[in-house]
Amino acid sequence: MTIPFFKDTMFVPSDVVAAWVLTIILGIFMAIYVWRKQKIPLLWSYLRTTNHRKIGTMYVLFGVLFFLRAGIDALLIRLQLASPHAEFWVFQQDKYNELFTTHGTMMIFFVAMPLLIGLMNIAVPLQIGARDLAFPFLNAVSFWLFLAGAILFNMSFFLNSAPNAGWTGYAPLSTDTFTPSVGNDYYVFSLQVSGLGTIFTAINMIVTIIRHRAPGMKLTRMPLFPWSALITSFLILIAFPVLSMGLYLLMFDRLFGTGFFSGEVGSPVFWQHLFWIFGHPEVYILALPAFGIFSDIISAFSKKRIFGYPAMVLSLALIGFLGFMVWAHHMFTVGLGPMANTFFAITTMLIAVPTGIKIFNWLFTMRGGVIRITTPMLFSLGFIPTFVMGGVTGVMLSVAAADFQYHDTHFVVAHFHYTIIGSTILGIFAGLYYWYPKITGKVLDETLGKWHFWLFLIGFHMTFLPMHITGLQGMPRRVYTYGYGDSLFALNLTSTIGAFIMGSSMLIVGWNVYKTHKYGEKVGNDPWDGRTLEWTVKSPSEEHTFEPMPVVKEMDPFWYAKVEGRKLETTTDVRPGPIPVESIKPILIAVSMSLMSIGMIYSWYWLAILGGLGTLGLFVIRSVTDERKKDYAEGGGVQ
Amino acid sequence: MKKLLTIPILLLLAGCDINVLDAKSETGQDQAFLIWFSFGLMMIVLVVVFVLFARFVWKYRETDQNKHTLPKDVKGNKKLEITWTTLAILLLVVLAVPTVAITYDQSPVLSSSEEAEQAVHVNVTGQQFFWTFEYENGKETTNKLVIPANKTIVFHLISKDVIHSFWIPQLGGKTDVLPGKELLYKLKNPKEGTYEGKCAEFCGVQHTKMQFTTRVVSNEEYENWLKE
Repeated sequence: MTIPFFKDTMFVPSDVVAAWVLTIILGIFMAIYVWRKQKIPLLWSYLRTTNHRKIGTMYVLFGVLFFLRAGIDALLIRLQLASPHAEFWVFQQDKYNELFTTHGTMMIFFVAMPLLIGLMNIAVPLQIGARDLAFPFLNAVSFWLFLAGAILFNMSFFLNSAPNAGWTGYAPLSTDTFTPSVGNDYYVFSLQVSGLGTIFTAINMIVTIIRHRAPGMKLTRMPLFPWSALITSFLILIAFPVLSMGLYLLMFDRLFGTGFFSGEVGSPVFWQHLFWIFGHPEVYILALPAFGIFSDIISAFSKKRIFGYPAMVLSLALIGFLGFMVWAHHMFTVGLGPMANTFFAITTMLIAVPTGIKIFNWLFTMRGGVIRITTPMLFSLGFIPTFVMGGVTGVMLSVAAADFQYHDTHFVVAHFHYTIIGSTILGIFAGLYYWYPKITGKVLDETLGKWHFWLFLIGFHMTFLPMHITGLQGMPRRVYTYGYGDSLFALNLTSTIGAFIMGSSMLIVGWNVYKTHKYGEKVGNDPWDGRTLEWTVKSPSEEHTFEPMPVVKEMDPFWYAKVEGRKLETTTDVRPGPIPVESIKPILIAVSMSLMSIGMIYSWYWLAILGGLGTLGLFVIRSVTDERKKDYAEGGGVQ
Repeated sequence: MKKLLTIPILLLLAGCDINVLDAKSETGQDQAFLIWFSFGLMMIVLVVVFVLFARFVWKYRETDQNKHTLPKDVKGNKKLEITWTTLAILLLVVLAVPTVAITYDQSPVLSSSEEAEQAVHVNVTGQQFFWTFEYENGKETTNKLVIPANKTIVFHLISKDVIHSFWIPQLGGKTDVLPGKELLYKLKNPKEGTYEGKCAEFCGVQHTKMQFTTRVVSNEEYENWLKE
């Protein structure tokens, strides 16, 4: 579509126009709703909050929002691929490249990560008996940095310059020689800004879990979700700085003409090493928290303690450790030589051992139990076969010489969707249904939840199972069309139909949330007959939880107290915990970092300098002020 | 559950038509063997997990009888856990042996060997968005590759711009085509026929269309064609 712009005409693709129109209409409706229902004070309080549950809720809300956007990207991809030589809307060539780039980047960084971090924010402190995260202010900074990065990333689309080099951003394609438009600068800066927030969260989680557990909760009595959060945080702490470095070098290549990834001394393979040293652990950063969620849920709904707890913890740690030794299995075809290829083939296979241990331990947790098939449990049950299918194709991919055939085909696409959706996304759904009462005080409707599960799972398998075969038929990934031969049509059409079934299941979630809030009733502390400490606090959890503090003497303390018909022992003599504060500075820090990024992207250096000074200034101001002062004066809440 | 179990069977039946599994060269057949072999081993795992899963979920689901019973707590079972760890390791050892052997045999080699002297060499240049093939006598073709059957062919791959990946699914796996660094790919004993080749590494706007045809012809035909 061409739009007259003063004397020039501007070309804007119709999908971008459609997005603008839709956004403006939805924006107006939102504004009217907020005004009518007088929600402005509520919004204002959320903008300044540092409470872990509220921040977690915001993570979840925005994660779901971006899930819808990236999901629509996926549906558009599937529409373009529905039939051979299709020409759906504008999504051929460069538009299609933007489509899969934004789909991948958003799903990993702005959907899976924030949803998991959101769940950690909500559940981890409650599960370990902490009153908040160790650094509430930093937690708010993390959230707003994530959101700033995500908004930056989405902005690129609205300005018709979305990144287009794939979510892996392989050099030299991602350098300014081959993709001169600002799209990939957006990629660099949005990941950089949100990545910073993720690193802060990791530090926050580690300190919280190490320092703020309830009295008596030894690490050996801690539920598995906090355990997985702890190990994940260590992975983030090692992996994300590597991504930051890679992005930093790429920024220099793009903006200032250096040659780290091209030219005489640079090499495009350097980028791949940096990216995958981050990128492979990232896969486990996504999977481990989901494993934690499943462990808690399977144990709770089988009425049994987790089978082989020490082995479960050990294999979490082993998977995390091995995750750093396998990155080059993404690079079997770049000519690292047989020595490197076989080394990485074998380390990759080894990951199957701790993963297998976990699978069998989950199975044996259910054995001999009483399995209540609730929605969270259904998602956990759906996870086991799905994830195992993804896991075995993972082992197949690790066979280096066979990978020469699989590499960069739809077989790989099928594999990683089986593992990431199978673990992370099903885990997030399970966790959201499970902890929903702790967020809102209500339990989501079970019937609709089950509909959601079945539609999602059936749609999922329909979408991705055929891709194993299209991959082996010779269909590379990231192509926008294919020929009539090779019998690719039927399989691709099946995938497309499956994708729409999967997408439609999300409409049921929307309906469920609406229905639950309209008609659902408030529930008590313990709607699921749970085992761990989060079920001892009110639903939704308050800002001052655990007063007085429970004393933990065993694993699953709440469960055994219930079984033996006694009350949890409590104490008021505990070490000082973080206290809630309200501050507008976190969001200001994020805003000034966004301004700095926009300045850098468009080479408006005055704006970059202004944004940078703003960020620095806010840090200085923060260092010399103490938001907790009024709490000291009142003397309340400090213990 | 039943639906899931029929899928691998369907896959087995369909196997004969699938390009990669129906390989037309020794290289490709070795890879197809590895794919089948790893698939078979993994099916064992899959079936064991599926059977246990189905059995446990069915047998121990909540019913009216057991609704109020409190199951006995089991902390773990050292023997069982050691068993499945050892079995998993054994399975992987079985898989690792052919993997290492064939990977050593097939990995892109950078040094030339005696075998390479007798092989047919083709220089392949990838460029946005076409392929150039240069033969030993200096002849050049674009997007059309011709190679002799039943010989060892060594491709010298180099890119003029971004990373591409050289792939003829029916003949063998792919190797990346990097700017500034020549990689080698060895193809053993292709059979006569015409096969599609493509770029497998995303390389920009026209990546999808970066395809070429490969004609594998008899040795005499190849010699004649070179002289054309």
